Amino acid sequence: MSKYTENCKKAALLRRKNYIYLTSVMAITDFKIKYDNSALGYFWSLLKPLLMFGTLYLVFSVFVRWQVENYKLYLLLGIILWNFLAEVTLNSMVLLEAKASILKKICFPRWIIVIASSITSFLTLLLNMGVFFIFFVLSGVHFQASALLLIVYLAEFYILVVGLSLLLCSLYPKFRDIHHIWEVFVQLGFWATPIIYPITIVPVKFHKLIFLNPVARIIQGCREAVIGGGSQFSSFTNHTIIIFVAVCLFVVGLGMFNRLSRSFAEDL
Amino acid sequence: MITLSQVNKVFRLPHDRRTTLRQRFVGLLQKNTYEELYALRDINLEINEGEFLGIIGKNGSGKSTLLKLIANVLEPTSGTVTVNGNVAPFLELGVGFQWDLTVKDNIFFYGALLGMSRKEIANKYDWIIDFSGLERFVDAKLKNLSSGMQVRLGFSITVSIKSPILLVDEVLAVGDIDFQKKCYDAFENFKKDGRTIVFVSHDLSAVEKFCDRAILLKEGSVSAEGHPEDVLTAYKNYEQMSSHHFT
Repeated sequence: MSKYTENCKKAALLRRKNYIYLTSVMAITDFKIKYDNSALGYFWSLLKPLLMFGTLYLVFSVFVRWQVENYKLYLLLGIILWNFLAEVTLNSMVLLEAKASILKKICFPRWIIVIASSITSFLTLLLNMGVFFIFFVLSGVHFQASALLLIVYLAEFYILVVGLSLLLCSLYPKFRDIHHIWEVFVQLGFWATPIIYPITIVPVKFHKLIFLNPVARIIQGCREAVIGGGSQFSSFTNHTIIIFVAVCLFVVGLGMFNRLSRSFAEDL
Repeated sequence: MITLSQVNKVFRLPHDRRTTLRQRFVGLLQKNTYEELYALRDINLEINEGEFLGIIGKNGSGKSTLLKLIANVLEPTSGTVTVNGNVAPFLELGVGFQWDLTVKDNIFFYGALLGMSRKEIANKYDWIIDFSGLERFVDAKLKNLSSGMQVRLGFSITVSIKSPILLVDEVLAVGDIDFQKKCYDAFENFKKDGRTIVFVSHDLSAVEKFCDRAILLKEGSVSAEGHPEDVLTAYKNYEQMSSHHFT
């Protein structure tokens, strides 16, 4: 093996190592652009979810009165989690298109774009969680040890959402309107998941149907862990179901993405 | 070493490009017809270590497609492209520019895109700033720089790359005379370092000056290959002939 070949091999190896760095740079870049590189940019972006929260809270705690303890926290946590799903799945398709000029010229694993976009949104999720805990402290609810389960739920949720994004992004270049179609599904999902309403108002015979959706399990589980009110979802079975669905989605998504992303440079 | 054997690249250009579910559904009953465009036809090419190869040809002759195949951005329709286990970055000005980021952030972003680590980029950072002459503008957003400054930044990052293979597409035809001289010097250094360079350009004098070998592409096929001078002559004859054709 000539020295030249050796150098090439080394360079290839190094590149692979640097993909992690590339992912982080891309995520931070998107994060900076998203919030205009300032803390106020973040507060500005809070306006929309907080307004949405305010409206829903007004409607469902003043006009319609659900029998939910700490409804404020219940609602806020649901909205924050659902927003994460909506943001990652929709934004990763937008980012794929925005990065088309780079994809056409530079060879790097295409999944980096999806992962970077998901990390950006995850950072936002963490910030939003900070806002949630401000509300949490103000409302005077006691902190319980099970709140640490939130980390497990978030990890499961992250894998599920990334799998979904990979799946959608792999189809996006050939079917552009999948973005609009998915937007509708996100809306549908928002109402089909117990986010603003308590599960108790749904007739029991539909519970099975609702909890076919793993996101509903995650959101309910997070609420139980942090706010309290039962321990129905902290069971081993529940985690097994969530992890099973999440991993399946992730594997299928990644497989399809790797297959279809080969022609991204031509399709986008 | 880069080897291309019997490479064909065919682009299918549909008469009615369908990119949405809606279009596919509406078009179910109509057969979609398309043109086949042979961007590259039966290319056999070996590029040796340390060689400086120039590719010339008219617009649409397949030069950029060839570079993209070597860069592993496109896959050949048939045939094989082997690039010695390593991926060569495709260098073109303005690729990966993030207009809303500062000059500094752009250097790190573009460096990472080309596969460099944070340390590597940090080591080259001062050199890049110095070479581009943008000391006073490191914290300015890229979109607020003049186009000349943007070009200088792009080229400076480009020449700082330590990849053993470089694919260069039209980067010399920019900048003022001082900066062009800097660029030519950088090219001399590439040669001295013994790096493999594939250089696509319309700047024939640059091809003649730097390249060890040149190929002429004509409608996707190699129509002349050899010493740059001979290939340039062939190109000039061909151009004259085709311009007569039009008049």
